[in-house]
Amino acid sequence: MRLRICHLYPELLNLYGDRGNLLVLQRRAEWRGIAVEINRISLGDTLAPDKYDLFFLGGGSDEDQGIVARDLLIKGPYLQEALARGAALLAICGGYQLLGRYYQTRTNEVFEGVGLFPVFTIAGDKRLKGNIAIEVEVLSTPLPVVGFENHIGKTYPERPREGFRPLGRILFGYGNNGEDGTEGCVYGRAIGTYLHGPLLAKNPHLADYILTLALEARYGKVELRPLPGDEIEWKAHEAFLRRFSKERRR
Amino acid sequence: MKALKTLRQLDLMAFFRFKIALYLGCLAGLVCRLLGREGTSLPGWIALRLYPNLLRDLARSIDKVIIITGTNGKTTTANLLARILKERAGFEVVHNKEGANMPAGVAAALMASVFRACGASKRVAVLEVDEGSLGYILKQIPANLIVVTNILRDQLDRYHELEQTLNYIRQSLAFAPQAELLLNADDPLVASLGGSLSERFVYYFGLERTPYIRLDGGDVQEGHICPGCRGLLVFAYYHYSHLGHYTCPRCGWGRPFPHFRVKDLQKRERGYNFTFVYPGGEEEIFTSLPGLYNCYNILAALAAGWVSGVNPKEAAELVAAFKPGRGRAETFRLKGKRFTLLLVKNPTGLSEALRAVIETRPGVYLLAINDLAADGRDVSWLWDVDWEPLVGYPGKRIICSGLRAWDMAVCLRYQGIDLSLVKIVPQQAKSLKEALKEEADEILILCTYTNLSLYRRLLIRMGGQSEVKDLSPLPRTA
Repeated sequence: MRLRICHLYPELLNLYGDRGNLLVLQRRAEWRGIAVEINRISLGDTLAPDKYDLFFLGGGSDEDQGIVARDLLIKGPYLQEALARGAALLAICGGYQLLGRYYQTRTNEVFEGVGLFPVFTIAGDKRLKGNIAIEVEVLSTPLPVVGFENHIGKTYPERPREGFRPLGRILFGYGNNGEDGTEGCVYGRAIGTYLHGPLLAKNPHLADYILTLALEARYGKVELRPLPGDEIEWKAHEAFLRRFSKERRR
Repeated sequence: MKALKTLRQLDLMAFFRFKIALYLGCLAGLVCRLLGREGTSLPGWIALRLYPNLLRDLARSIDKVIIITGTNGKTTTANLLARILKERAGFEVVHNKEGANMPAGVAAALMASVFRACGASKRVAVLEVDEGSLGYILKQIPANLIVVTNILRDQLDRYHELEQTLNYIRQSLAFAPQAELLLNADDPLVASLGGSLSERFVYYFGLERTPYIRLDGGDVQEGHICPGCRGLLVFAYYHYSHLGHYTCPRCGWGRPFPHFRVKDLQKRERGYNFTFVYPGGEEEIFTSLPGLYNCYNILAALAAGWVSGVNPKEAAELVAAFKPGRGRAETFRLKGKRFTLLLVKNPTGLSEALRAVIETRPGVYLLAINDLAADGRDVSWLWDVDWEPLVGYPGKRIICSGLRAWDMAVCLRYQGIDLSLVKIVPQQAKSLKEALKEEADEILILCTYTNLSLYRRLLIRMGGQSEVKDLSPLPRTA
């Protein structure tokens, strides 16, 4: 079995240890005998829609995101096509915002997004940052997904809300906008979220879920065997919840 | 008490309030020390609340102010520069040498100096200032020289992104239009600070090509966007992180040619040899400090010394004898073992520390990771560290400790480190006991800010002997 990953704008969208997510996916696939191929696609590169099982975008500084936004408008339709063919996608923070309908800055400038996720983002006046835990329904293990968030953009679902599926419900933290209790967005096999830490480090259940999403389209239903050694992740997960769930629950 | 005399120019009421703030602050510091606490910033914190213009009025008694800011290397650069100015220029040096670099820490240092001032010699303040406090400090204190070391990825939950830090520093510099600048030419973000400020004197320092350059910047790249035209910069090579030799193919901007340079750099068993090139001369330098980042610190200190009138020939000896301050590679002897404390606070610092010590230091690595406010709440930076030195030398014993010991272990697992060699002992005191059980006698403790003072106290309590003579306290943190 082979997993082909496309890492989009690796040198521009790389804040907050985002590349750690790819390392987690790569190792967890390789430990199960799945070969992994990671291609780096950036400004001006062509994006072949049929070549990849999984796309990954991290977060970037405002400056870098502006540069990416222009290039991503050109790549957008190819990305849409790839997802329609069954590819999976994971976008964190800035990457998530860029794949929404639009982003409005504090000076009321509006940047058009790819429009993959039915959400839009408006810059707020304070950073929403801190440790966060969310409840995600689709996961095989009924444990929260935990991480850290740090964003000034507030993301809202587009009306009508019917098309919007959040990734999870907030246990503590801010999530999409700090108002409606939702975090992230799911569209087909695409996941957008504000969680980093990196996201997949302490969430092996989510990492494996994304691996199955990515492999499904080409290999049908994939059963991933449990990995020995995951105790460390679960210990970290447990220590995190023990420390922060009391401190931050509002 | 020359300092107090100059302050009599203030009107009587203000002078009275100023004095009350000063004495109450100092009293609080004294009480702190009597209680056995380390109150480096507290006197300043109290006095600033009682008298908001404290820094402005304290600065009236100082003849020359040198400010050192940037992400990494502030403390070492400031410590060495203070030493050079004191011993080779005969200045009376006021210095926040414990790394207390927020307004309260700077105030405390200036306050303490008021009572020490004897009046005979010229007084110079060498102040390391946190990037986030630079604007406030420059509004209050008229600086003569501002040194910017580098702008690297740091605690992002505090200072957000690099461009924002850069803009903040740029705006802050506007409060000190009279100050000369000494900038790192190899860091495009820092070098760009010099471009738009044509009214003032700007000096640059930088490293020439060394045998240790890298052609690839790796995954983590910052400062790769041209500050002039927003094109992508092209790097001929990197020293580390985004420090290197760069040009912009679109608008032609590039690394300014430095006035002060490190030439012919060679690694020695401990430390480095290099030639320091300055306007009108060259000087051979040896340092026992590990890591390329320390060569930058020495370069910046020698350059700032030159700008302040010190002949580098007279400073070379001081550099060779220079030992870093408390917690900056401080070593302790305990039960036949040698413990070295290294402060690591961001990916570049940790990557370079690993690169510097991995060949020479065998034995045990104690990674002590906390996530309190002063450490940075967000620990995702661990994943931006280049762990290759540790992965490439298998068989090292590793102990993870601190509030985020488990996060550290998870990160190591995915880097490809054999977890059977890793012990996870979150409690700091216990982690030291584990380290004592190891066979190796050279133990390196890489710790985040709040763990630094904690491990130092623990080592001393267990009977460890510091190899740094001066035993004044470390900064306390929130």
